Amino acid sequence: MEESKEQILVKHLLKKEEAAWKELFGAYSGNLTYVCSRYVAEREDVHDVLQNSFIKMFRSIESFEYRGSGSLKAWMTRITVNESLKHIKQKGDFKSAVEVDDLPDIPNEEEPDFEEIPRDDIMMMIKSLPDGYRTVFNLFVFEKKSHKEIAGLLGIAENSSASQFHRAKGLLVQKIKEFKMSKKAQYE
Amino acid sequence: MNNEWLNNLRSRMDDHEEDVPEGLWDDIKGELFSEDENNSIPGFIPEIHEGGAGKKEKGAGAGQKSLFYRLGGIAAAIALLFLLTKILPQNDTDKTLSQKPANAKKEKEKNSLNPLETENISGSKAESGVESPLAENILNTGVSKKMPAQKYFNTEEKNRVGNYQNIQEIIKLPAAAESFHQESKITQKSSPADDTVKEPIIEKIPDEVLFKQEEVKEVYAENTKHTAKSHDKKSWMLSMLTGNVASNSAEQQFPGYASITGKAMNVEQVWSTSEYHDDPLTAILLANQSQPVEARIRHKVPVTFGLSLYYNLGKRWGIGTGLNYTKLASELHSGTENNYIKGDQTVHYIGIPVQVNYNVIQKGRFTGYITGGALVEKPVSGSVTTTYVVNDEIKDSSKERLDHKPLQFSVNTAVGFQLKVIDKVGIYAEPGIGYHFKEESAPNTIYKEKPFHFNMKFGIRVLLD
Repeated sequence: MEESKEQILVKHLLKKEEAAWKELFGAYSGNLTYVCSRYVAEREDVHDVLQNSFIKMFRSIESFEYRGSGSLKAWMTRITVNESLKHIKQKGDFKSAVEVDDLPDIPNEEEPDFEEIPRDDIMMMIKSLPDGYRTVFNLFVFEKKSHKEIAGLLGIAENSSASQFHRAKGLLVQKIKEFKMSKKAQYE
Repeated sequence: MNNEWLNNLRSRMDDHEEDVPEGLWDDIKGELFSEDENNSIPGFIPEIHEGGAGKKEKGAGAGQKSLFYRLGGIAAAIALLFLLTKILPQNDTDKTLSQKPANAKKEKEKNSLNPLETENISGSKAESGVESPLAENILNTGVSKKMPAQKYFNTEEKNRVGNYQNIQEIIKLPAAAESFHQESKITQKSSPADDTVKEPIIEKIPDEVLFKQEEVKEVYAENTKHTAKSHDKKSWMLSMLTGNVASNSAEQQFPGYASITGKAMNVEQVWSTSEYHDDPLTAILLANQSQPVEARIRHKVPVTFGLSLYYNLGKRWGIGTGLNYTKLASELHSGTENNYIKGDQTVHYIGIPVQVNYNVIQKGRFTGYITGGALVEKPVSGSVTTTYVVNDEIKDSSKERLDHKPLQFSVNTAVGFQLKVIDKVGIYAEPGIGYHFKEESAPNTIYKEKPFHFNMKFGIRVLLD
């Protein structure tokens, strides 16, 4: 079986070669910046979290197991998400921010339609969600975590995670509507 | 609920990129490689030294004698490499940082590795105390401390690996059969061997071994079944190592969690830990809450080294006894892919065999024979290293000794090849099969799991007439 480029890179990463790590950084830092910015709003914090993530990768590359193409990216993403969560938790009263609003669920079954929205604008919308909503939304959508898992990760109740997600969804629907309206307004 | 929009959004954003914060790489580089700057990168070494290898070969051609010595040195190097690969870091393949007790020869390796190791452990310690910013500091200072060690390791290894490359170049030329022949020279040549060649060779082996292991590891990790690749690439001896481990090792699988003894974890083990919030086991259990878990135990093929005394009874028959050393290694992987408990068990046995040999062919210095006999083994030491991995990060690592070590009885039969090196001393290799009588209280090893199994013995035999 031929070794993939990814595997060869990992080999060099294991030897802690600077060139290999630079290559890794070059190839993945853009995507990881995106992953991290989903969770962490402040640009400076994104810098710090990413730096910590790469240091963590550097140290625990031994624990990486290759499982086919893309597994390196998945591994790096997981580390970055973990570091981001760590950062969010450290930053303060995360728990209270999530739990505090016990508003009843808004009966809103409409689903957000991102089809025609440019990716940068999607990103803006996600970023503009309140911290707690955003974290739950990200974990559920992009990290494919169940509400049970999210509850475990964030130390909140399971139904709290579900309702957070629900509300994030509602907010996004609203934001998309606003976005489309403003676009329309531009044309008129 | 319709999840289509979720999938759409996910795939849409999958390879999205954002602008990387400015100066991020410089900061990371500063943190990780700041003291590495004057060092050339180890990855380039093979090329550099390949040129050197050519030169060396020419030089060798000049003097037959020095070539002879060199071959002796090389043979010694291979044998040592082989021995060390076998005895030492077989479970380095698992990427644990556990370190076997080192003897004098491994001192060198220890020196260069220990800082790394301790650093890594302190690193993971720090990581488990995630919450506090203090821990973060430890983590960071850890990095800077690591660099000098890293540098030392790199430069050292540069020289050695480089040299070793030369030798490998030369080694690759002789045919596989010849490499066996070379081995025979080890014992002959080990004393008079050319110092300048031999000294560095011996010293650099530990480092090289580790590196080799790392390379081999890649192969293990993802395709335990396909060994063809390692076969054609490596020298005769090394390929046997990988071939063995991959094809003959025993694997046990259980649903749920298990300890290395092969028993399912009992409720107490699982729940007594949940009181402590930072406990790594709890972390694993939590992380795996809603996922199917399974445990795999893999036993590696036992490899035995022996010193045996042999007494000829007539032309064809002979009896032998001696002293054997066997190392059994097993690994446990319990949990899911990202969150799991990893256990590495190593048990060392010293045994006394009684063998009867029947010589089938005898040609010059070469003897082919079949052998059968019995073996009593006593485990002299054993240890289990347990590593907790949560989200692909090592959370905790602990090592404990195995206490209960009953005697182990077995019978075996094998086909043997022996090559007489000098008058009354020969070296032998015996691939064979053995049956180990089950001992319930013994540690869970391949002996227990697969009482009937293949093994491989190497050794030195002294003939008594």
